[in-house]
Amino acid sequence: MMLSDEPYRWAEAVANRRDYIEDQIRQGSPVVGVGYEGGVLLLTLSQSQQKVFEVYDRILLAGIGHSTDIENLRQAAIDMAHSIGFNYSEDDVTLRQIVYFGLGPAIKAGFDEVVRSPFLARVLLAELDGQEGAQVFYSVDYDGAFHRHERCAAVGGVVEADVMMVRELSGLDAEALSLSDAAGAALRAWAIGRWIGKMDEVPTDADALDQVAGEVDVVDVLEMALKDLAVEAVVLERSQLGKNKYRNVEAEEIAPALAQFKAD
Amino acid sequence: MQSGGDFVDLLRQSGYRFPGEQLGDVKAERDLPFEPTDATTILAFQYADGVLVAGDRRATAGNMVLYDRADKVIDLDAFSVMAISGSPSIAFEIARILEHAFQYYRRRLLQEMSLQAKLRRLSLLIKDNLPMAMQGIGAVIPIFATYDRVDARGKIYFYDALGAQFESADFTTTGSGSPAIRGAMYYLNRWGGQQFVDMDRDAAIGHALQLLDTASEYDSATGRYERSADIFPSVKTITASGLAEIETEALRELYVQYVDGEEAGRA
Repeated sequence: MMLSDEPYRWAEAVANRRDYIEDQIRQGSPVVGVGYEGGVLLLTLSQSQQKVFEVYDRILLAGIGHSTDIENLRQAAIDMAHSIGFNYSEDDVTLRQIVYFGLGPAIKAGFDEVVRSPFLARVLLAELDGQEGAQVFYSVDYDGAFHRHERCAAVGGVVEADVMMVRELSGLDAEALSLSDAAGAALRAWAIGRWIGKMDEVPTDADALDQVAGEVDVVDVLEMALKDLAVEAVVLERSQLGKNKYRNVEAEEIAPALAQFKAD
Repeated sequence: MQSGGDFVDLLRQSGYRFPGEQLGDVKAERDLPFEPTDATTILAFQYADGVLVAGDRRATAGNMVLYDRADKVIDLDAFSVMAISGSPSIAFEIARILEHAFQYYRRRLLQEMSLQAKLRRLSLLIKDNLPMAMQGIGAVIPIFATYDRVDARGKIYFYDALGAQFESADFTTTGSGSPAIRGAMYYLNRWGGQQFVDMDRDAAIGHALQLLDTASEYDSATGRYERSADIFPSVKTITASGLAEIETEALRELYVQYVDGEEAGRA
């Protein structure tokens, strides 16, 4: 008998699938995106393994979840971007296309096929100076649902973490922030996201969640994390010569931001 | 297992065919002798900081001047250019494929394409273009110039119409105007008082302008400084800090100094 023949079993299968995926992802290292005066920054902490990737001249991708699933999505995004870029023009490569017609449907299809393994990943993409705005982000969830954000965005192990990380960042003036300050804010948001992702029971009530986020000891969380993780920061920077705006941020550029969280 | 870093493969999956591959039964009206059309002058040499590549900007069809702003020195990435003589249509297509192929490879495989691989990719495209070249309508004979950060020096490669690649030790030139200056380049380099490789940036650009002017004197398909429209040849340098296009104002100054003015009598 097919699963879809029985609505109840179908719903149950999907719910189980959600639980399974969320369980796999929630412990991961969040990814934070912030606009700053020079462009956009994607920041995460990782075990010396690359987590933020260049997709095209002005587009970055990072994810939380299973590294091979993220890798498959990354490759699909790169293929799509380069096909469009070659057959049309560089200006025709937009993040919206990649999300609406590429990643979104691909992840949704993977999620819907109950008999196959879904993508264990939530991804965050950033675009600098595209048709939709100067600092645009899209987050794509493990079920293919995507959301557009301006100025800042974040993807953590659970949706509640996203919300609280974005709240932490939302007061910033993304057009005037220095790179170092943007990195500092991103680290603070990362710590909040990490904390919430690691909680055994994430409060679903908004007030309770607010309270939890407010009480996170950011310095402590980062101090602990930095013992075995390293900061990975990548920017799309307007001042980069040529079409390609991708640049790895050097450690010394964010050293001041990092100093406040490091144990002596 | 496929690593998937090959951009041409990606294009083929979506139905793309390189012009030479789909030529099939298309035939020129009569059998043309294999004479590559290469109406232009391109030159490249090593100078003190790296490599200089220069080309005139005239595009011709037979004895007609079609265009005087053609850019025949095409950027492929931050450290390499391809200078073209031959059929512009195919040459631009090759340059576009390579530009994407280098980027695609780096992004997809998370490593820079090696210099040897870049040379090989260009060579393969020229080979794919053989049917067009044999028809006498689409040969491309490029110069590939780059700064090799591993060896910390500039490198210049030239190709024949079948895709064989050769590294040039000091200088090279191609195109219809090249016979007019090949000897001049040899002479300059050997007895000109200063070898190309010892020249500073200004002297290198000045001599490149002199050589292109010389080529245009003897080759009608090579353009020279266009006074009425104020168009200079394209001159690019590639050094340890990357590719730079020489701006019009800088070219104007050096043109006055080396071609028109005080330095014009020397060398």
